[in-house]
Amino acid sequence: MGRQERYKNRIELLQGTLDMLILQTLRRAPQHGYGIGQAIRAGSGDVLQIETGSLYPALHRLERHGWIKSEWRTSEHNQRARYYRLTAAGKKQLGSECNHWNQISAAIAALMKPAESEGQA
Amino acid sequence: MIRWSWLSRRRRDRELDEELQAHLAMAKLDRIERGEEPQAAELAARREFGNRTLIQEITREMWGWNSLERLWQDVRYALRGMRRSPGFTAVAVLSLALGIGANNAIFSLVNTVMLRMLPVQHPEQLVEILQKYPDQARMNGWWSWQSYEHFRDHNHVFSALTGMSRDNVLNVRTAGSESEIVIGEYVPGNYFPVLGLKPAIGRLIGPQDAPTSVAVLSWSYWKTRFHLDPAILGQRIVVQGKPVTIVGVTPREFFGVLVGTRTDVWLPRSAEMGLQLFGRLRPGVTLQQVRAEMSVLYRFTMEEQARTWNNPLAWQSQVEVEPAGAGLARMRDHYAKPLIVLMAVVGLLLLIACINMASMLLARAAGRQREMAVRVGLGASRFRLVQQLLTESLLLSIAGAILGVLLAHIGIGALVRIIASGREHERFDLQVQPDLHVLVFTAGVALLTGLLFGLAPAWYAFRSAPAFALRQTGTAGETRLRRLFGRGLVTAQVALSVLLLSAAGLFVGYLSHLKNLDLGFQRDHVLLVTLDPARGGYKRAQLARPYQELLARLESIPGVRSATISAATPIQGLGAGSLVTAEGHQERPEDRRRVGLNWVAPKYFATLGTPLLAGRDFQFEDQGRPRVAIVNRAMARYYFGSANPIGKHIALDGDTKPYEIVGVVGDAKYLEIREAPGRTMYFNMFQEGRLRSQFALRTSVEPSSVTAEVRRTVRDLLKTVPVARVITLADQVDASIVPERLIAMLSSLFGALGALLAAIGLYGLLAYTVARRINEIGIRMALGATPGDVSRMVLGDALGTVGAGLVIGVPIALWGKRLATRVLEDLPVDSAVPIAFGAVGMVVVALLAAYVPARRAACVDPMKALRHE
Repeated sequence: MGRQERYKNRIELLQGTLDMLILQTLRRAPQHGYGIGQAIRAGSGDVLQIETGSLYPALHRLERHGWIKSEWRTSEHNQRARYYRLTAAGKKQLGSECNHWNQISAAIAALMKPAESEGQA
Repeated sequence: MIRWSWLSRRRRDRELDEELQAHLAMAKLDRIERGEEPQAAELAARREFGNRTLIQEITREMWGWNSLERLWQDVRYALRGMRRSPGFTAVAVLSLALGIGANNAIFSLVNTVMLRMLPVQHPEQLVEILQKYPDQARMNGWWSWQSYEHFRDHNHVFSALTGMSRDNVLNVRTAGSESEIVIGEYVPGNYFPVLGLKPAIGRLIGPQDAPTSVAVLSWSYWKTRFHLDPAILGQRIVVQGKPVTIVGVTPREFFGVLVGTRTDVWLPRSAEMGLQLFGRLRPGVTLQQVRAEMSVLYRFTMEEQARTWNNPLAWQSQVEVEPAGAGLARMRDHYAKPLIVLMAVVGLLLLIACINMASMLLARAAGRQREMAVRVGLGASRFRLVQQLLTESLLLSIAGAILGVLLAHIGIGALVRIIASGREHERFDLQVQPDLHVLVFTAGVALLTGLLFGLAPAWYAFRSAPAFALRQTGTAGETRLRRLFGRGLVTAQVALSVLLLSAAGLFVGYLSHLKNLDLGFQRDHVLLVTLDPARGGYKRAQLARPYQELLARLESIPGVRSATISAATPIQGLGAGSLVTAEGHQERPEDRRRVGLNWVAPKYFATLGTPLLAGRDFQFEDQGRPRVAIVNRAMARYYFGSANPIGKHIALDGDTKPYEIVGVVGDAKYLEIREAPGRTMYFNMFQEGRLRSQFALRTSVEPSSVTAEVRRTVRDLLKTVPVARVITLADQVDASIVPERLIAMLSSLFGALGALLAAIGLYGLLAYTVARRINEIGIRMALGATPGDVSRMVLGDALGTVGAGLVIGVPIALWGKRLATRVLEDLPVDSAVPIAFGAVGMVVVALLAAYVPARRAACVDPMKALRHE
């Protein structure tokens, strides 16, 4: 139970956001789980490192919601891998999550501004 | 389906495994490309990856369960539960099997007799034409050829009109075998075209076929007699002494148009035969239009019957048109009402079984409260719990239905045999086959039953607060509502059982009323023996001397008190009737009625036990003397009033020499035991030279015990004459009330079952109550209550529940009785005995059910009880 808790807590850190990041990554082209992890890592300048224990449950959850679909393909390394691709419903979901994210980040940014200016004063 | 989802889960597991494997492989490759040592790269990739089993586990949780998988889980869980309490499961499945099986059996009969359509084209367009005489209870479907032609040629409502006449004793001989008696139908050329039947092989009878030229066999006769040999086409068989050619076989599922019978052979009808009529409606024509048109055309028949039969009642008769898509009505007339009554009875039985199940499951649900709480605690939603419980009850009802259908199969066989034991002209040979109707009905009943009794525990599970339940210890937290509800269920069961038992009492009482009716003869200790002198080579004129001798020899058999012969015996139907003219009696032509005629030998009245009220019996010495007759009391009263009829003369219409009345006897019933006896006139068969071969013996011992001696006596005297039939008079009377016997028998059986189920319910309730109150009982006993006090407390509890049940049940039973009398007209209404029987029966059953719990309560050891918990 304890170890499982640990993983769950890490998921919670990124709750909702991880889903959005995955969808965003898949927006350009279908990708397998490892590729998605690498893409997010590279795209964030190594800041965001996605745990495997968070990534795969998230992928399977998104697939169950019907936002992404999977198929088996051969990778560039000639390795058989499961590729995920964004569905129409997934695109819509990504749009609404983007909006939501923008609102929240704007709100948080607005709240954080006084702190910055206080610090400067 | 279930297997499929299981497979799919295995596949998904494999895929997940492969997916994660691929991840690892790619991570390792990346590292190697970046210049790491393969071994170090592998280790690093693994470290970065984390605990693979755990990841797999968490990911799998994301899949969720689809509804099929969930159902399969529920089913497996329910099956485990059933295995864990085999006693409960056995009682549950068995009581449901009895309830569902009884419904399946009776509905199968209802379906066969009333619902199932004939296997012909557009059966819904078929109607039959019947005639109703004011003095007859049942409708008559017999028409003259002239009437048929008149209707056929003058109507505007039928696209075709056809008919058939049956012969139940058709003598058929095939090449190289003995002759046998089969059931035949004589049909006009348009019979098969109107029905739209296609032959199984060969062809069917058409308009071109002349009488006594061809024959068509039924599929079942073809099978039993000719073993489905296709070479029979073109073969000759001898029907009633005349050779005909077999041209075809009817479809397998077709048994004729008369419900409850099975026709073996169809023959083209010969001219001038009467027939039963049925027709196919023109499209768009309503039954009202047909009735209107037929009542106009019917005047033809009225005139014809008034003229040719000299029947004054013809003018009061009516024509009736009835739908015949499910077959012609004869059997429906006899069995529709009894079957409706039985359907109500088995419906009640099933309801009791349902309530029984509900209260059993409810008691069980209380015991499973902790289990439910744990499941909720582990994340099951309330709906999931309800779903689980409904799955359990549906599984029970499906198991009950399967076993019930098996029981019903046996039961139907027995019912069909009982129904087939009726009198010859009412002997029904039902072809009960499961079809879509029965399937849908049974599935519906099982489903409804499962939902009905599953709802109470499911609702209870839904309502109960799980968190609270976890904390409770199992005995204390019972809600008042639940207790009341459980008690209410048992009360309802008692009430319904009272209803069933009263119904049983009512029908058994009715049957014994019928058995004790004054029939005008003594039915016990009479043996009826029919000989077949024609097959023995005797002509009727040669029989007088040997029969007189035979009577003397039969009377000398020990145990035989008297012997006689008659043309007709009671409840067999009088074959003959005539209009008569009585000396000194004037009546208007329209008041004239036919009287029944019977030809009997001397000692007939003494043998049958019909009292001789005045005058004398027939004698062998009447032969060669002036014609004499004996009349029954009804006839004497009608024609002669209070005057002495002895010595008066009566003449039959169309007969010149009148009869002198020499005796008056009591009224005896010849057709139905419930009819008012009609006017009957008896002649001396030896004087008239109309010898018949139906012997009757009054015995001082059990009648069937002299059968062997009677056969020997017949063989000794008339070596070649076979004995055709032996039956006791009591059995012949019983054969006329098969539907009534069926109702009485089944309603008592089902009444007993209902009471048994109620007893189980009550026992369960009391046992549970005693177990729950064991502390209280211990305290009471510690404070000085005797075992007797405690037993009385439990018995009082039982009687209270039964009392409540009676308060509800008795008024319903009274109402039900009134309903039953509306269906079966001559039920004795005024008697309170059946309901008293039901009530007393239920109290006795309750006391029996309470005995064990009461004893257990009385045996409680106060010390142990107080330490308990």
